[in-house]
Amino acid sequence: MNDLPQQLANGLLLGALYGLIAIGYTMVYGIVQLINFAHGEIFMIGGFGALTAYLWLPAGTSLLFALPLMILMAMACSVLVAMGAERFAYRPLRGAPRLAPLITAIGLSIALQQAIWAFYPDATKSRPFPEFEGGRIDLGAFAIGRGDLFLVIAAPLCMIALGFFVSKTRTGRAMQATSQDPDTAKLMGINTDRIIVTAFAIGAAFAAIAAIAHGVKYGEVNFKMGFIAGLKAFTAAVLGGIGNIYGAMIGGLVLGLAEALATAYIENIPGMSQLGGGAWKDVWAFVLLILVLLLRPQGLLGQRVADRA
Amino acid sequence: MTTNQTHTIAPVLPVPATAARLTALVGALATLGSTFLAWTWTAEFPGDLTVTGYPGGLQVLTLTGALLTALFALAGHGVRGLGWLVPGGKNSPVRLLALGTFTTTWYAVLAITVELGGLVNLEPGGWIAAVASLVTLVGALGLPADVPAENPGPASGWQRFTHAFKAPAPGKAAPLPSWAEILIIAAAFGIGLFIFTYGIDTEYAELFIGFLLLIGFGAPAVARAGLNRRLGALTATHKNVTVTAAFVAAFAFPFTQSNDAYATIGANILIFATVALGLNVVVGLAGLLDLGYVAFLGVGAYTAALFSGSPSSTIGIQLPFWAAVLAGAAASLIFGVVIGAPTLRLHGDYLAIVTLGFGEIFRIAMQNMDGASGPDITNGPNGIPNIPDLELFGFNFGEPHNVLGVELGRFSNYYLLMLFFTIIVVTVFRRSDQSRIGRAWVAIREDETAARAMGINAFRLKLLAFALGATLAGMAGTVQAHVTFTVTPAQYKFVEAVPPNSAFLLAAVILGGMGTVSGPLIGAALLYLIPAKLQFMSDYQLLLFGIALILLMRFRPEGLIADRRKQLEFHETGQLDAPKGDIGLSKAGV
Amino acid sequence: MRHRSLFMITTAVTAGALTLSACGSRDDSGSDSGGGGTTVVIGLDAPLTGDLSAMGQGIKNSADLAVKIANKNKEVEGVTFKLEALDDVAQAATGQQNATKLVGNNEVMGVVGPLNSDVGQSMQKVFANANLVQVSPANTNPELTQGKDWQSGKKVRGFKTYFRTSTTDAIQGPFAARYMVNEKKFKKVYVIDDKKTYGAGLAATFAAEFKKLGGEVVGTDHINPDDKDFSAVASKVAQAKPDVVYYGGEYPAGAPLASQIKNAGAKVPTVGGDALFSPEYVNLAKQNAEGDFASSVGAPLETLDTAKQFIADYKAGGYKGGYEAYGGYSYDSTWAIIQAVKAVVEKNDGKLPESSEARKQITEAMQNVSFEGVTGKVGFDEFGDTTNRQLSLYEVKSGKHVSVSTGEFDG
Repeated sequence: MNDLPQQLANGLLLGALYGLIAIGYTMVYGIVQLINFAHGEIFMIGGFGALTAYLWLPAGTSLLFALPLMILMAMACSVLVAMGAERFAYRPLRGAPRLAPLITAIGLSIALQQAIWAFYPDATKSRPFPEFEGGRIDLGAFAIGRGDLFLVIAAPLCMIALGFFVSKTRTGRAMQATSQDPDTAKLMGINTDRIIVTAFAIGAAFAAIAAIAHGVKYGEVNFKMGFIAGLKAFTAAVLGGIGNIYGAMIGGLVLGLAEALATAYIENIPGMSQLGGGAWKDVWAFVLLILVLLLRPQGLLGQRVADRA
Repeated sequence: MTTNQTHTIAPVLPVPATAARLTALVGALATLGSTFLAWTWTAEFPGDLTVTGYPGGLQVLTLTGALLTALFALAGHGVRGLGWLVPGGKNSPVRLLALGTFTTTWYAVLAITVELGGLVNLEPGGWIAAVASLVTLVGALGLPADVPAENPGPASGWQRFTHAFKAPAPGKAAPLPSWAEILIIAAAFGIGLFIFTYGIDTEYAELFIGFLLLIGFGAPAVARAGLNRRLGALTATHKNVTVTAAFVAAFAFPFTQSNDAYATIGANILIFATVALGLNVVVGLAGLLDLGYVAFLGVGAYTAALFSGSPSSTIGIQLPFWAAVLAGAAASLIFGVVIGAPTLRLHGDYLAIVTLGFGEIFRIAMQNMDGASGPDITNGPNGIPNIPDLELFGFNFGEPHNVLGVELGRFSNYYLLMLFFTIIVVTVFRRSDQSRIGRAWVAIREDETAARAMGINAFRLKLLAFALGATLAGMAGTVQAHVTFTVTPAQYKFVEAVPPNSAFLLAAVILGGMGTVSGPLIGAALLYLIPAKLQFMSDYQLLLFGIALILLMRFRPEGLIADRRKQLEFHETGQLDAPKGDIGLSKAGV
Repeated sequence: MRHRSLFMITTAVTAGALTLSACGSRDDSGSDSGGGGTTVVIGLDAPLTGDLSAMGQGIKNSADLAVKIANKNKEVEGVTFKLEALDDVAQAATGQQNATKLVGNNEVMGVVGPLNSDVGQSMQKVFANANLVQVSPANTNPELTQGKDWQSGKKVRGFKTYFRTSTTDAIQGPFAARYMVNEKKFKKVYVIDDKKTYGAGLAATFAAEFKKLGGEVVGTDHINPDDKDFSAVASKVAQAKPDVVYYGGEYPAGAPLASQIKNAGAKVPTVGGDALFSPEYVNLAKQNAEGDFASSVGAPLETLDTAKQFIADYKAGGYKGGYEAYGGYSYDSTWAIIQAVKAVVEKNDGKLPESSEARKQITEAMQNVSFEGVTGKVGFDEFGDTTNRQLSLYEVKSGKHVSVSTGEFDG
């Protein structure tokens, strides 16, 4: 167990990444009750946007200097795609059967993935992503990679900014109102269409940040990366209580921790030697999710609300 | 193009009606004639369109389209004896058919030009076809609209265009002797089977696209003409005849096949469709969103594989097939109850993620139980290969058999076996849908609180739906194991490029129409055929498939075959739109 | 009565037109012979789209190259080869469908593919029933040729139509294990695999041989190749302090795994099979790839004239994407089919017998095919496995795979 601090760090870092993506799920769901399965692809497109920006710069540009441009570009790509999807794929389906947008989302997810695969140069394979120079940063009990620094700084900043936005700005409060009762919000003069677009856009922007964090942490982006990340992020959002933005981050961290600890320690439990390790970690993560939902059906931070069906 | 007091709306092209009809008719006949000429000079274009006097490939489609256009144009004119064709709209079917013929023909002509590299590759026949189909379209667009305008005042060109495709619902049909009605139903299914077989058998992509174009316009045309409603009324009075006819048509499918290649597709579509129908119990009737449904198929398949006597099975027991089916269904049932009991108390989307989780747990567990990272049961990633062919009553499913002078290959045999299970699932679905339980499910789906208040034990009924759905899928899985020879965990992912998988199953149900029998069947057939037939697009195959899903949901959110009630809910006018994608295979509400 | 007759006429015309178009078979098969010779279609099945498409496309392009060269050189007099490539999206059911489709086409005389072993399993019997020969360039699961009890020495060939030019896990894993123990004197290994047929099989055979030679397996774990975060496993590896890590799996997950293991503080080489032997591995793992090993079948390509020729031809062919890990095997598989067709044509006085007889004879001829291929000498043993047991081990040095050992594996 003497690598426990290291494994905790591994789990938290992974979880923060899940959490950033989960925000997009939870915000969209909170307002339109739509499971946006294409959100993972929005994340992936952010990664390719950032890579494109880096490749525009002269070869050998230091990553640190390139970062602002990459963030802008990643956000621009993700937000544009998300807004386009909202406008042309989801909005026409308001008032349609509840499950129809789910199929649209699956279609969108396939289409976006394949569009990158087919049209982005060399994207049939993983594309290397620039990494920070230098070795790991040793913090005594554990060490983190240089690439992880971006996540360590970006994740809390994003959460603080989002918290401020939602509670202090006019649009943010309108967003809360819409999520609680869209019809009444409309009567109060809130332009719900605009609020929904804003929710999509903010979620996409966070996904773009997450994509860069993913890129510098793992040194690559690929057209499939949105699928698993999206699935995990969705799990995280539900775990934390879907609709709650802090819940999304907490859910992400818990999920990340669960995966790391399950990989590392379950096999040491007597009688479980074959049921641990990387092979079973996703199973344990889902078991945890199911247990949490059975005890707290509204998720960790979710509020108990009547089923809106 | 001003409107008078009765709000008539001008046609798209301002031509006198008689001239327009004549133009359309002459155009259609000319188009028809052109298909007997050579369209191109070389046999390099698939289908060999060089033969004079014998239409082939895409020409046949144009011919069919032109023939139908001419027929409907005559019928719309009131030619006696053809009135039965147009109980509803008189002119909008002509317009749609002309449009269909036009797009199919121009697609063919353009495909020849592009693929062979230049307009020089067109023979006069091709030119005539292109011009004639355009003339037909012009004429058809000049025909007056079928329904009066909704609003007074001038209409823009686009409004007139969309309005031109609206049609009134047909009146009540004069009663026919019941034998005649049954004959009509049988004929309709005959045509349905023919169209379906034609679609499956299209040997090259150009033909399939042409087919889709023609069907895409032809099906709504038939609907506008009111034939769907008429047929629907007939099938409603002769429900059992209809179901029988549908299955006779399905049963006849392998007998129309000269080799096993398309029977394989047929068998796989049936497996996919049957499982989708099982999911429809859960999603369509009870309204429970299940994202891990394919796991139940997997449970059935693994159970059957383990008891199949495969040399790789870790259990050395070989059960007879009926016992394996029961075991597979039972295993799925237990799995379903184990999952359902704790989780069905969750609401809506929480249930979705939990089922998704269970689906993944199943797959990962199957992958891990190979003795290295779990108990040695499933051979892990290698799965259980070499599952022997079935032998029932001395009938070996692995070998070709000569039945009624037609050689049925291995996959035809399995197709027929699978059809038997499809019938079981359809029967179970219809029975439960029409029973007390079915009504209770619908009540829970629509408003659980109200249903509880009426004394329905919602939890128990939801569990029943979940378990029933699981059992049906498990049963299908036992056949699937034998069809594919091998069962591996990779076949049961959440989403994969080819069906069946949880996402595609759900898509088949929603796309086809929740809560109906024919909806998931048609949805599954489409979801299976479109990617399979789009293979020629190689790099863009899945991209187009994704876009197709988005567009289908955009224009048909309630599904291709909608519950009548749902349809009224989701289209503003709610009265005129008959199902568009109905290709005559079976009817709404069956 | 007028309307009744019109009704009859329309019905008759419709029915006539439909039957004419439906039943009439305008003989459009076999009419494209061009030069008056026969056309032989070689089927191909590989994942041409999806995750594994890069490798699948490499397989397809290389087979296409072989067909083009055979046609250009008139390899078989009077026979024109055509390639019909089908996409299986790495799915067993789709592969099986493709197999029946190919069987249904009378001009198909042999099939190259597939990439995945489980797809291969679902296809084998379809081809066996039709006597159609299949040569896989990439299946490595020993069970496909030697039956499920191959480890206990009870080798039984299940399907006489199934051949492969790739080696099995049973050869590649042990070869690497011997080098690690005998040459590098490594004692402790940490074995990781991706829980897929190829990876798990490879890792198991490596571990078995490593233990037999006196080494110690200090830990085993598995990863999900769709993940990118392997930090938890990497930390476990660092904790176990092995001399070397063996990874059974493909480079898209292998490269980040090796990289994260080194980042976690375990400065030990990662070793893997031919699916790690790709320039992409180095591209992705960057400087962390340095010192890692990968085994591959055949002598290093640069040392064989046939291979040099293949690389040059492939470049000249202007294909989109590289030939990837299995391109060479695919070329050889296709060429093997062409050689079998050639043998049958020669045996039958310059003509190919009718379809089902030709398929049978080609399958029989395949057993004796032998030529110098891209990956070395191509030939098949009594199980349909390649007789080429030459293997090479490569080490990443200054960003390139450099051959460090080549040898014959004697089982």
